[in-house]
Amino acid sequence: MDSDAKQADRHARIFDRGTIGVQTSPIVIEIERGRVASFAQSIAETNPIYLDKSAAQAAGYPDVVAPVTFPIVINMLANEMLAKRGEKALFQLIKADFRRLLHGEERYDYSGLIYVGDTVIVSGSVVGFEDKKGGQMELATLRTTISHKERGDLVSMTSTAIHRLA
Amino acid sequence: MITKKPEQAKVGDHLPEVTFGPVTRTHLALYAGASGDHNSIHIDIDFAKRAGLKDVFAHGMFSMAQVGRVVTNWAKASQIVTIGVRFQALTHIGDVLICSGEVVEKFTEGSDEFLKVNLVAKTKPDVATVVGQAVIRIV
Repeated sequence: MDSDAKQADRHARIFDRGTIGVQTSPIVIEIERGRVASFAQSIAETNPIYLDKSAAQAAGYPDVVAPVTFPIVINMLANEMLAKRGEKALFQLIKADFRRLLHGEERYDYSGLIYVGDTVIVSGSVVGFEDKKGGQMELATLRTTISHKERGDLVSMTSTAIHRLA
Repeated sequence: MITKKPEQAKVGDHLPEVTFGPVTRTHLALYAGASGDHNSIHIDIDFAKRAGLKDVFAHGMFSMAQVGRVVTNWAKASQIVTIGVRFQALTHIGDVLICSGEVVEKFTEGSDEFLKVNLVAKTKPDVATVVGQAVIRIV
């Protein structure tokens, strides 16, 4: 047992560590033009490939490209769909306590782009847990994959959520 | 120096900066609606006060979006392999985000060539709200 793990016993952990490897049901999401446009506008995007179909096509893309952080929107939409179906999203699965929750890290690994008009499939999984700072914090690593029926995996999203325990 | 294109970039080159702000409540309300992140801590000052804060603060993902623009203003969308950030400090109402990037490594994997770019969003010269890294394919 390393020292972090030993000291961690002093603070009650909150994340449900039995959920490692648990996956959420696949959710189908349509990438709507208006949704991409309002997101691009809200982040003050100026690059026309993220705003304008003809500019995107002139640059060699089939349609407007979803901004590089748009996967977070797809993730939120998938979570809403899970809730409507009465199923738990990753945060509910791991029993995240929003009063203590911080967003630690967020990483997107791209193997293909997402375009307006795409239909994508979203599925999440619980990767693992760690104790930090002598048990004053605990970390959960979550992964969400966005894929396309013909083009395969497009984006792998890896997110670290932190509980402040002390 | 500021580099024109990823293909010509050398280690130590800087990407053109992106500046956003000052951040207003309207920006956060619009981002909340557009992103689907409706956490009240970013849009409802009464809620923020009940949580012991003086005011609402910006979504971490909003800062990630701004450092993302540093990358997407410079590299083609199809060249971006990875973008990742660590959230370090809060961005408050009235803050100006200055987002920058620097090429820190050039490497090959098989027949592909890549650049590693360090990214940072600062609200003061000594306050980085977000630090991160991007990997860009150049060949």
